[in-house]
Order: sequence, then C-alpha cells, then structure tokens
Amino acid sequence: MAVALARKTLIHEWRRFLPAIMSVGFSGVLIIVQGALLLGIVGTNALSVTQSRADLWVGFPGTQSADLGRSIDIGVSSELLVDSRVARVEPLLLGSGDWRGPRGGGISVTLIGIETRRDALGLARAVLPAERALLDEPATALVDDGDLDKLATEIGGTAEINGRRVRVVGTTSGMRAMGGVNVVVSLATARAIDRSLAASDNVTYYLASLHSSQAAKAVRARFSRPETRSRFEIWTAADLAGRSVRYWLLESGAGVGFIFATAVALLVGTLITSQTLMAAVAASTPQYATLRAIGVPFPKLRRIVVEQAGWVGAIGLALGLAGSLLAAVLARLNGIPFALGPGIMALSGALVLAVALLAGLLALRRLRHADPAALLR
Amino acid sequence: MTKVPSLGVRAVTKSYVVQNIRTEALRDVSLTLHPGELSLISGPSGCGKSTLLSLMSGLSRPDRGHVHALGVDLGALDDAARDAFRLAQCGFVFQGFNLFPALDALEQVQIVLDYQGVSQALAARSAREALELVGLGQRRHLRPAELSGGEKQRVAIARAIVKHPRLLFADEPTSALDSVNGAIVTALLREIAHRSGAIVVCVSHDPRLIARADRVLEMEDGRLHRDSRDHSSSNMMGTSR
Repeated sequence: MAVALARKTLIHEWRRFLPAIMSVGFSGVLIIVQGALLLGIVGTNALSVTQSRADLWVGFPGTQSADLGRSIDIGVSSELLVDSRVARVEPLLLGSGDWRGPRGGGISVTLIGIETRRDALGLARAVLPAERALLDEPATALVDDGDLDKLATEIGGTAEINGRRVRVVGTTSGMRAMGGVNVVVSLATARAIDRSLAASDNVTYYLASLHSSQAAKAVRARFSRPETRSRFEIWTAADLAGRSVRYWLLESGAGVGFIFATAVALLVGTLITSQTLMAAVAASTPQYATLRAIGVPFPKLRRIVVEQAGWVGAIGLALGLAGSLLAAVLARLNGIPFALGPGIMALSGALVLAVALLAGLLALRRLRHADPAALLR
Repeated sequence: MTKVPSLGVRAVTKSYVVQNIRTEALRDVSLTLHPGELSLISGPSGCGKSTLLSLMSGLSRPDRGHVHALGVDLGALDDAARDAFRLAQCGFVFQGFNLFPALDALEQVQIVLDYQGVSQALAARSAREALELVGLGQRRHLRPAELSGGEKQRVAIARAIVKHPRLLFADEPTSALDSVNGAIVTALLREIAHRSGAIVVCVSHDPRLIARADRVLEMEDGRLHRDSRDHSSSNMMGTSR
C-alpha cells in the first residue's frame, strides 16, 4: 500500500487534531440533539396520529395540523365504507377541557375520544386493550403516566373537567405532550365533557384501516376528487403527521430558531476545525515544501490536507452520533420527546462533513507557504 | 577528454525586493557543472549561493539569463513542467532534514516513489536499498524522533537518491551535524556523485565538505569569485568576470 501520509499523520499527531475532531463532534451533537428535541416536541402535536394504527385519516378540508382538527359530517363514514378496499372506519374526537384536581387550579387539557372496542385503531399504540376496556364505564379517563404528577392525580383519583367529574382509571404511555395534557376518554365521555362535541352527528376525524396498506394512496386518490374536497380531506397517516410537524415548525418560529442555532454551531465548528487544520499544515510546511521541491505537484499536497479534513469529519461525526444516541437514551429514560430519526441524522452528518471539508479548504491557504525556494533562504 | 556539459548557467541575474529594498542576489553568473562530480558552492552568508542553487534546480526562475539542465531550458518551462522535471530528475537534501514525524525511515523514502507512480513492491524494495546504501538498513522502521541528527540526514539523502536522480542538490547538508556524522554525509555525497554519475551540487561553508569536493566554486556579492578546479578542458565553463 502506498504510504498513507494523511492518515499516519493524523494518528501520530492525534493531540494536534483532537480539537478539530471534538468541534466537529460537538457540532454534530448540537445539531442532532436540538433537531431531535424540536421534532420530538413539535411531533407531540401529531401524537393522536402517530400513536394510532389507521392507514388513512379523514378530516376537515385544509386542516394544517392534526391537533387543529374541526368537525366533519358523520355521513362520511358510509361513503368510505362503499370502497371495498376499506376494512374498518371509526371516529376519533378531539376536544378541550379545563382540568381541576383535588389541589384546585385549572390545567388546560386536550380530550381525545376513542373507540373502546378491543381492536380499535385510535391510539392503538398508546392504550393497551385492558385499559381501553375500562373506558366503557362512563366518566372515566386515562392520562399519561408522565403527566400524573402534573395533574396531581393517580390511578383511582378523581377530578373535574369542564365541571364534569371523571375518574382516572389507568394510564397511557407515549402520550405526553409538551404544551397541554392529553386526556384519553371514550367517545361518549368526550361528548359529555366537551359541549362542542355533544352533537353526535359530528366527528373530528375518521380513521380507516384497509385490507392492504399498499392501497392507501389509491384510496386517498379516489376520495380526493373535487366533489368530495369541499366536505372532507383524506390523508395517509404519514402525510397528516408530517403536515402537522411542518406546520408547527414554520408557525411557531421554532424552526427558525433551529436554523439559527444550527448556523452558529456550523460556524463555530468551521472556525475551530479550520484553525486546527491550518496549524497542522503550518507545522508540516517544511515537509510539504520538500515534497514540492522533489516535484510533487501542488494538487497532490492539497489532497493530503483535504483527506485529513475528511478523516476529522468522519471521526467527529462518529463521536457526534454516539453522543446523540446517548442523549436519546437519556431522553427516553426521562420521558422527553426526542425524535432521533434517520432524516435528522443524515442532515447533521452531511452538515458536519461539509464543515470539515470547508475547514480543509480554508486550511489549504496555508499550503501556499510551502514554497520550496524558501527552504534555501 | 571533454565531458558532456549537463548543468549550465549562462549570464543569470536574480534580485529580490524585501520591504521596498531591491537586493541583487546574483549578478551575471555563468558556470557549467558535470556529471560524476561533487561540486561545492561556497561563500559568506548572503553571497547568493542558495539563490544559485534554487535557480539551477528549477525551484525559481532567473530575472535574466538561462539555466540548461540535462538539455532542457528550465526558464522556458511552465510551473507544471518544472514540477515534472524535478520529479523525474532532481533529488534534494536540506539543512533541516524535513522528515515527516509520523513516517518511519522506510516510508520517508518510499513516499517519493509513490508520487512517481512506482509500484508498491518496487517502491518498498528500492527504499530499502537506498537506506542500506546510507547504512540505515537496520534502522528503517524508526521514526525521526528515534533517530540521531546524522541518521536523519542520511534518511534525507536516501530519500533524495531513491529515484536515482541525475541532479542532486544539497543545501548545507552537514551544518547541523557533528564531525563524525558530517564526515559520513560528506563521504556519501561524494560516493553518490562518483558511483551514480549524477551531478551533485552542494552549498556549504563547511571546511570538511570543501576538502572532499571535486570542485569548489567560491561566491561573493552575487558573483562567482573563484573556481578552484582546473577547468581549461571545458569551453562552457566560465566565471562572471
């Protein structure tokens, strides 16, 4: 194998390159962690979608986020069932309430009304069948186990929502939201508590499951014609969840904050990395000048520096990903919404590698000092 | 017998501007160097000897005059062509060794052949042979930090000769060495010139080196002052005056 000058220098002088590797790694951690937190927090607005098992969601036309659903006509259900590819349709209600526990004080809660049959689609991932069955009893509710303290309640405890007495009969998992509190009830209890839902001919969403999930796009297309678009809109679950996240990213300004903080992380990362690489080039100037003297063309010297930058980026990225996984574990242990997905990891990976390569390109300026004639002065 | 002139400098002039002050480093210098000889350029600091070495090796261009090396007018070549010429024909030994701290002796030498596109097996074998020639065959796996000053300079010489250059330039190769190592390096340079037939040019004011050179060219104030070998046999040779 040819002499791997870039790699051997990196290993031999690792202390010199360490600041660059750490700065790339920290940039990566910073971008991934704040991105995953932001997506996790914003994603809590779509929990009703992501914690359910429906293939398709049907709601008010133009709904921008899952939590902003408005009522649609109850007749939509039979329209959907006409299609033979649709296996089941069930309603889901979203309402709001003012929770007053034994300690007094009001907490705004989001009421999520779901079907109570054992194999229901609504919140199938967050509510166990046994807990769901408990909701058959009127005026019962489930709250997230992460919200028990916030609501100052426990299983078996009672509270009032909008002046109606409810009993907490169990908990959900993964329904903890960052803003309000999600309280899961049966459809009937939801209508009893939130008067805006009382009219039984209105539902917020219809959830549909298909015989084959593959058909989701085709079914959606069928029900997206202009004559139906004025009454309801149909989305795949992923569409509605993605639409909710995008809406809150743009609407809340949190997305702009993320972009700004990411830009700062990238700038600092680039500065530290380029300074480190420049110092490394400066330390090797006589050696590079010697290579120039024996006729090694300038582009080949550039390649050494860029290769070193690439290694710094790759090692830094690996550290960054390891740090982010650690952060994800800590977040999970503490019940913090942390959406560490492949998208944010790929984005961060691409950005920090770009940082390293940009820093390498900046460091190339120092190579100009590698003038072999200067060795003779 | 008339030798074939291989490295000729004709009426070259070179000046530098440092902080708006123009300094003439070389003034109308002409000389010719021959294969198989260790030629030494000597003179006080600032006399222009390093500048002359820089011009002769194609590292810089003269303001006026011509440098012909192995039949090539170096002044007429662009930067890339001069790089290619040096890569093919020139070896260099510098006062400061300039070895890569991360590489062992074998790799320091082998890397030159890597850049010439020589196959790995041949590059490694040639590098080993070059190190054996300078007496460091047994120490080829040591890094610069584990070598003495004299050993480092011998690695640098091995690096310079591994590609069998026809032109070998050395700038003060013994000035950082003690007497024993200085003598070893001097003997090596002389042997390389005589055995390989290369043109070996040294810039030095080390008396040990002056005593072993085949030819001594003394410079002063940017001019060639004295050429101590009998040079009546060559019509290309001359001095500036």
